[in-house]
Amino acid sequence: MNARERYYWDLTGYLVLRDVFPQEDVKAANEAIDYLGEVVQSGDESAEVELLRERTRPSIEDGILTRTTNGYPFLLTLPAPHCEPFRKMIAHPEIVSRLNVMCGIGFRLDHGPQFIGGINGTRGGSLHGAGEPHREAVAYHHQNGKAYVGGVTVTFQLGESPTGSGGFACVPGSHKSKYSMPVGVRSQEDEMGVVAEPDLNPGDVLFFMDGAQTHGTHPWTADFERRSILIKYASRTATRSGASQPVSPPEIYWDEEIVEGMTAEQRAVMYGPYSNTRSREMHLEVGEDGVVSLEG
Amino acid sequence: MDAKERYYWDVTGHLVVRDVLSQEELDAVNNVLDYVIGTGIVHQSEDNHGAADSTFLRGTGSRWAHGTSLLELPRPYCDPVRNLLAHPVVVKYLNVMCGKGFRLDHGPQFNNAVKGTAGLVMHGAGEPHREYVAYHHQNGEMYCGGVTVTWNLTDCPEGKGGFASVPGSHKSKFRMPIGVRNCDEDMGAVANPGIRAGDVLFFMDGAQSHGTHPWQNDHDRRSILFKYASRTATRLGPSNAVCHPEIFWDDEIVGGMSMEERAVMYGPCSAPPNDEMFLVVEEDGAVRLENTQEQQAAD
Repeated sequence: MNARERYYWDLTGYLVLRDVFPQEDVKAANEAIDYLGEVVQSGDESAEVELLRERTRPSIEDGILTRTTNGYPFLLTLPAPHCEPFRKMIAHPEIVSRLNVMCGIGFRLDHGPQFIGGINGTRGGSLHGAGEPHREAVAYHHQNGKAYVGGVTVTFQLGESPTGSGGFACVPGSHKSKYSMPVGVRSQEDEMGVVAEPDLNPGDVLFFMDGAQTHGTHPWTADFERRSILIKYASRTATRSGASQPVSPPEIYWDEEIVEGMTAEQRAVMYGPYSNTRSREMHLEVGEDGVVSLEG
Repeated sequence: MDAKERYYWDVTGHLVVRDVLSQEELDAVNNVLDYVIGTGIVHQSEDNHGAADSTFLRGTGSRWAHGTSLLELPRPYCDPVRNLLAHPVVVKYLNVMCGKGFRLDHGPQFNNAVKGTAGLVMHGAGEPHREYVAYHHQNGEMYCGGVTVTWNLTDCPEGKGGFASVPGSHKSKFRMPIGVRNCDEDMGAVANPGIRAGDVLFFMDGAQSHGTHPWQNDHDRRSILFKYASRTATRLGPSNAVCHPEIFWDDEIVGGMSMEERAVMYGPCSAPPNDEMFLVVEEDGAVRLENTQEQQAAD
């Protein structure tokens, strides 16, 4: 990562590298997505295909696969050769050399890879993530010449994404913001001119501070498909989502012998680390009577 | 947590809350520790263990009981310790210090000492930055990845040994001088606060520079340390055991991966069990595992 890249990354919160993924690998990845789209829409009701549907949770528009979930790395488990382009992505030299600087050595896959596509008319998504409120799992920090960021998403472009056609959009500099994002910027109805939509080509790779930088998606307006693969990395000790959640219950993260017989309040502090907590089973409060209870 | 406490915590990196345990509760926990000492699970290290090159910190071996053993004691012995785990005072303060959803990362650890027990060098600091234990303040909210809660079960008079720290060091941007680390030339920066039996000490473990001064009292030191983390920070504890790719993900996902691909599939942990998760790019552009041990030897 050279000085110009470091400057741009620190300044904006994202970085585009051109022509990283060879066109033959882009072609193989596109064929894998074609294969996935066909399989999940087939009438095949075998357990294997049903499991793939459950893991991908595909969005289909006009018969075209336009999105999958990022909760399970199903792209890494597709039958060969379709898993291969995605396995090439996860520890690609151009990724390793940048993430060793952005996240620090020992960075890891937190969740994904995820396919995000689109056809003309596919809706956008509101902007999310920011420097404020601070979220330590994904926050950006700079100290004594070193950059630290808990979460970086790496997007491999499989199709054209010209500026103005939709797709990835972000607020450059927002990873350092200390005020909450205005509603109009979030909804993009009064974006104040702060939102950028970078130009991306097949084989390009986009890095962005997922969670720290404000980002989202503009509606897709081009006649060709949007196609991108998002791989969600974290620094060595940061925990976002992915596999962290299933290993977090106290009986799994510690073991049954340790937590057996504990109260619900004691169990609450025994959950393992993860960030995407929709459960209140680990949030404690102290009542006016001084008694600890689960929140809510 | 009131405004004065917030100020003190932010400015120093530690906080003592007085008289949390009643005499009855103190007696109950001390009875457990009598039992623990009787079972022989308190390990005594070799002399000067933890003192490193220090003259000031020298003494007889440190006395510890690590791990989760105190939570697993047979009933009724585990109960007084489990009562401390989600104690109202812990919840009240950690909901502010770490944020809601804080969790036990490792411990509880029993720190024992007898007269002459060696100290432990100061460790942890604001520099180098370690994101999983770092302190941050923004828009009226505070964030700290790692907080250790120490339940004091015997008196620790000021200046007589036990917990010592460098107040303010959680915000330091320069490396700690050697003389401060080993306390031989501490520049007056190191404090050894007075803490009484029944008091609870909170400190920013990892962000604040802290250690132990040699124990100079005729009575034993008895403290139980619970090492908490914020919801998304990972320090130690079970993370080392569950981080292996086949455990954290599963065999189906990582089967057939190269060593370099496996490297990015390790789960989160701060003290990795091996060096198989560190990648470098060679001059020819190839990705390979970094041999950390070899590198450390060369350094």
